[in-house]
Amino acid sequence: MSKRLFSLLALLVIASMVLAACQPAATPTPTEEVVPTEEPMETEPPAETEPPAETEPPVSAVPEECQDDPDEKKCAVFAPGDTVKIGFAGPMTGDFSAFGIDISQGGLIAVQDNPDVEGWQIELLIQDTQGSGEGGAAVANLYAANPDVVAISGHTFSGSAAAAIPIYNAARIPMLSASATRADLTQGDQDVFNRIPFTDDIQGTNAAEYLYNVLGVTQLAVMHDGDAYGQGLAEKVAEVFQQLGGTLVSPPVAITAGEADYTGPLNNLAAVAPEAIFYGGYYPEAAVIASQMDVAGLGDAVLFSDDGTFGATFIELAGAAAEGAYATSALPPSSPEKDAFEAKFLEAYGVPAGSQSTFTWHGYDVVAALIHVIRQVAIVGGDGNLYVPREAMVQGVRSLSGFQGLTGDITCNEAGECNTAGPTFFVVQDGQWVEAPGGN
Amino acid sequence: MAEIALTTRRKTRISGFRIVQIIVALLTIAFITWRFVGVLQSGIYGTDTWLRFIISGVIIGGVYSMIAIGYTLVYGILFMINFAHGEVMMLGAFSGYFVLEALRSWIVDPVNEVTFLNAYPIPAILLTFLVGMLTSMIIGVMLERIAYRPLRGAPRLVPLISAIGASIFFQNLAQLLFGPVRRIYANPTILDRANGIRLIVNEKTVVIQYTGIFTVIVSILMLVGLYLLVQRTRLGRAMRAVAQDKPTASLMGIDVDGVISRTFMISGILAGAAGVLWGIHNGIIYHYVGFIPGIKAFTAAVLGGIGNIPGAMLGGYFLGIVENLGPAILGIDFQLKDVIAFSILVLVLIFRPTGILGEVLSEEKV
Amino acid sequence: MGDNIRAGLISGIAFGVIIIITSLIGFFGTVSALLGEFLFDPKTQPAALYSLVLILALLGLWAGIRAAKPVGTDRWSGALVSGAVAGLSTGLFVGIYTLIIGGFNARGLDIRGYLAQMSPDAIRFLLFQLPPATAALSYFLLFTTTGLAGGFLAKTLGRGRLKKANQQLKSKITELWESTSVAVWLSKFPYTQYIVYGAIIILALLLPISLGQYWNFTLGTVGVYVLMGLGINIVVGMAGLLDLGYVAFFAVGAYTVGLLTSPQQLSQFQIDFWPAAFLAIVIAAITGIILGFPVLRLRGDYLAIVTLGFGEIIRILVRSDLLSDFTGGPQGVRQIDGPSLFGISLTNDRAYLYMIILAIMLAIFVTIRFKDSRVGRAWVAMREDETVSQAMGINTYTTKLLAFAVGAAFAGLGGVLFASRNQYIGPEDANLLVSINVLAVVIVGGMGSIPGVFLGAFVLKGLPEIMRQLQDYRILAFGALLVVMMIVRPEGLWPSQRRRLEMHEEELPLEELEETEAIGALEAALEESTK
Repeated sequence: MSKRLFSLLALLVIASMVLAACQPAATPTPTEEVVPTEEPMETEPPAETEPPAETEPPVSAVPEECQDDPDEKKCAVFAPGDTVKIGFAGPMTGDFSAFGIDISQGGLIAVQDNPDVEGWQIELLIQDTQGSGEGGAAVANLYAANPDVVAISGHTFSGSAAAAIPIYNAARIPMLSASATRADLTQGDQDVFNRIPFTDDIQGTNAAEYLYNVLGVTQLAVMHDGDAYGQGLAEKVAEVFQQLGGTLVSPPVAITAGEADYTGPLNNLAAVAPEAIFYGGYYPEAAVIASQMDVAGLGDAVLFSDDGTFGATFIELAGAAAEGAYATSALPPSSPEKDAFEAKFLEAYGVPAGSQSTFTWHGYDVVAALIHVIRQVAIVGGDGNLYVPREAMVQGVRSLSGFQGLTGDITCNEAGECNTAGPTFFVVQDGQWVEAPGGN
Repeated sequence: MAEIALTTRRKTRISGFRIVQIIVALLTIAFITWRFVGVLQSGIYGTDTWLRFIISGVIIGGVYSMIAIGYTLVYGILFMINFAHGEVMMLGAFSGYFVLEALRSWIVDPVNEVTFLNAYPIPAILLTFLVGMLTSMIIGVMLERIAYRPLRGAPRLVPLISAIGASIFFQNLAQLLFGPVRRIYANPTILDRANGIRLIVNEKTVVIQYTGIFTVIVSILMLVGLYLLVQRTRLGRAMRAVAQDKPTASLMGIDVDGVISRTFMISGILAGAAGVLWGIHNGIIYHYVGFIPGIKAFTAAVLGGIGNIPGAMLGGYFLGIVENLGPAILGIDFQLKDVIAFSILVLVLIFRPTGILGEVLSEEKV
Repeated sequence: MGDNIRAGLISGIAFGVIIIITSLIGFFGTVSALLGEFLFDPKTQPAALYSLVLILALLGLWAGIRAAKPVGTDRWSGALVSGAVAGLSTGLFVGIYTLIIGGFNARGLDIRGYLAQMSPDAIRFLLFQLPPATAALSYFLLFTTTGLAGGFLAKTLGRGRLKKANQQLKSKITELWESTSVAVWLSKFPYTQYIVYGAIIILALLLPISLGQYWNFTLGTVGVYVLMGLGINIVVGMAGLLDLGYVAFFAVGAYTVGLLTSPQQLSQFQIDFWPAAFLAIVIAAITGIILGFPVLRLRGDYLAIVTLGFGEIIRILVRSDLLSDFTGGPQGVRQIDGPSLFGISLTNDRAYLYMIILAIMLAIFVTIRFKDSRVGRAWVAMREDETVSQAMGINTYTTKLLAFAVGAAFAGLGGVLFASRNQYIGPEDANLLVSINVLAVVIVGGMGSIPGVFLGAFVLKGLPEIMRQLQDYRILAFGALLVVMMIVRPEGLWPSQRRRLEMHEEELPLEELEETEAIGALEAALEESTK
């Protein structure tokens, strides 16, 4: 028995050693366009292989900040013909796969629109986090170990992003998330995490103010799906609403996401007759709630939800019951760029933008903005290689300013919050989301 | 045999256990009563609300009971938990969805733009059920052939892991085939989810959806049919014989593999019907839709006494109602309704391990 | 002849359906691209297309072989008819399917609304960039010829000939190994055991230094599962108590250390990592006893269901609003402190891997000591027959509770390392899938066997990471692999001696059976009880 154990352990150890020995060559680069004829650059520190640089002082072969950097810790180096890589991390399988797939597809369109930097192709790598913190950390380690990855689109969910931030911070890879909205993510001892959606705090505050001031609601009930996003948002709305002077008719009601029957909790709320229900969560559950409110005797109450609910699918799912429901969104109602993007998306994936999640446009903006920054900081060296200084990338994303995206003006503040505009409010009228009066 | 030698020793043990059991039971009952009286006195729920809780409980219970029977049939014969059963239901729901989509886009009256779905709703619904049940049946049988039959005779954990693998496989297959998008069941107008019988109770309207009534009727019809099949037909007799004793049954000339295959067929048919009902009543399906109802229905099957068909039916309705009424009775958050469901499961198993209606299974069987 | 046609039809239809489904999920596209990179020079040739044809041809061959193998390989005509029928029917199926999707595509209909992977590009690729009718015809011809070739191959290889050759090779290798002087010398040398011990420990200690950060992290995750696998190995593998709620103990350990060390306002205390970790393990063990107590009388599947219920109750309570002031609710517990030793912070992945390796060594030591002790033998006896073991004087109640407590302590330790490494623990880390995965670790690895736990953890947590090349298909492939593994090796990858005997009882001579642990354990238990 124990002999078998020894031999197994020994085998494992040896196998891992071999694995480790192969590590530099087998750096995980799950790309489909690797050109095998190219020499792996890791073996050739550019500073040493370019003797002519010393004889020609006017054109430095290697940019100053990238010298003495054999492991590409300071700068990512791309030989001609390489691809500059942006990593996308989100759930591609499992219960929440719709979000990861959708946001990555938006990003792929952005790469189509901005295919290169100084003649080097840009590629969006896509990795599956399964939406968990554990998976997020695994993907972050994978990307951090890949010297060709210069920026991250993601992570999609806050828990996954929180686990990944320390890893990217150490590797100096900037993140720009399309959908991680937990308020505290941009805090802490790091400067790599940035995001374009507004935080839960801003959204919650604005929603509560809109409910109280514009809609004149005084008796509110809040519901959430028991997930980090929905719960945080609902508690913020409840808090601000009470500060404004409104009454919360019931403590926050939590439901379990993924079910198709919420008449129980709705019946519960019907007993206290709120004027409006704020729901923090995503569209599938919001649609069920909308369609069951009438059955539960809440036909007169207004459903008010968040940017996880906004989008055509909510209306499609809830049908006539969607009429009169409110939601917030960062999305401007319409613009030529947005229409062009939506046409391209439909062409490429056969489903309309926003039908799988509500962050399709954000996914596009994130990648477009990251490419914009890469173009700003990338330097073509005298040796014909492209250099992307990592520190400059981090600073470049953090100081992004005036970038015009589909979701509006993207300008990052010193904390990494890149959407300076507050949310827009929408209401369903005649089966369409239209901008609600009195917003902002 | 060994039982006799043990009796004296066991008796003392059990009586100690009994006391603990009784104390726990009394405490539980006292707690429930206390909370319930509190809720009633506070008067936050009127008659109408209680009625609504019961209505939604009965409807969801109907779906649970149909899935639960699939678990119970398979468990009764193979003593294995068919973990992929929820996924069989999900695939049935998807095929029903495709039938409805096809019928919806088939316009029979171009002048008024009447679709086949609305022109002939009854054949349309029948066709949907037929295709859904057929798909689930084929998948159930294939599942047994490929993933379970080679494992006959292996320790009982082995088919369980195989079933878990199949469950993961089907979930991801559905996601890759159909995409991660939530899909909406296109009901004919007579089964519009927003319409129903409106009752005035306590000066408030209580809506009983037509889809809900439909769900309950279909589930009861299928369950009665199944009961007759098992009790009255040759196949049913064979199934019961195989459940009791496989070797003897095969000695009696029963094709054991054939009976097991048919059992999976029947449980697949029920799962397919449950999937279509789920779609018609709840409206939304996607690749993960089978997982949670699957676990709940399994709980229901255990509650009713696993291996027992009327038990599974009763367990399904019981779970549906308790899930909806429980949080209200105890006056706690609806998020905790699954805690109530599982607590009942734990309590039932501790006090009456054979379930509500369970036959007393011999210990070596369990 | 009728049998041959029947076999061909069955195989053909099965392969046709498999090929159609595989193409519908877009798997051929991904695999062809991967293979094309590997086999061909992507610059000069349409590599992916060649690989697609190659894969399809191999599938056709397989269909032919499968059809011809079980029947009539004695006669040429039989084998060829089976292969040809299989090829024809596969070709017909796939050809018609190609015509349909090609037709949709040619008319400009987008079917992605229903079938997500069927983009126009993907369909054109599947049609070999040909018009639908031509493509259907080429599919038909491809499968017919390869099916026929498969039948031919089946005949040439013959029934059982391959198997025999394989067995001969195996026995030769063992002979060779046993005859070499090294093996003989090793088995005679008295200190071999200790040298191997030492070498393994040294190698294990060197391992984290030699690995990159990604593999350090991934192996850390694998290590946590090894730890939990060792724990559930005691509960399920040794004591035979099927536990589907094992994640509860993991969560208790993780949350205890989280709440005690996090600076968040969730608990009043904030203490150092080491005492917190110790407390977490103790509390996890106590939870094991508390949860174990009411279920003492339950056996088999009922025990499994009740523990599943307990696990779910704990998860739902942890994320509920009811306890969110205490547990952080869905937000979880953040900023969990890591360990430090002599003022040096040990919070990088490498240090964690070291700690996990040390924890695993400790766990293995504890497991082996328990196994060889009276308690371990009592567990095995109880697993084999509870009633008889009771008759032998084993107190099954305390024995069961001890198994629960030890198993829970291991899980608690796993939870401690997991939570402090991630600096975060939330309710989503404590879901049912963790219990299932841990159970699968011991079953895939081989119940009751320590090396099996290592292999199982590698397969369950390492393989999905290695399979990242397969992109979205990796979890699908993982599910299929679990099923296949259970069919091919139900006793697990590295089963314990006893287990293997159980599975292949009929293949072994009786005298070997008598040496099995079970009987030894029962005998030992008998001895103990008579004292």
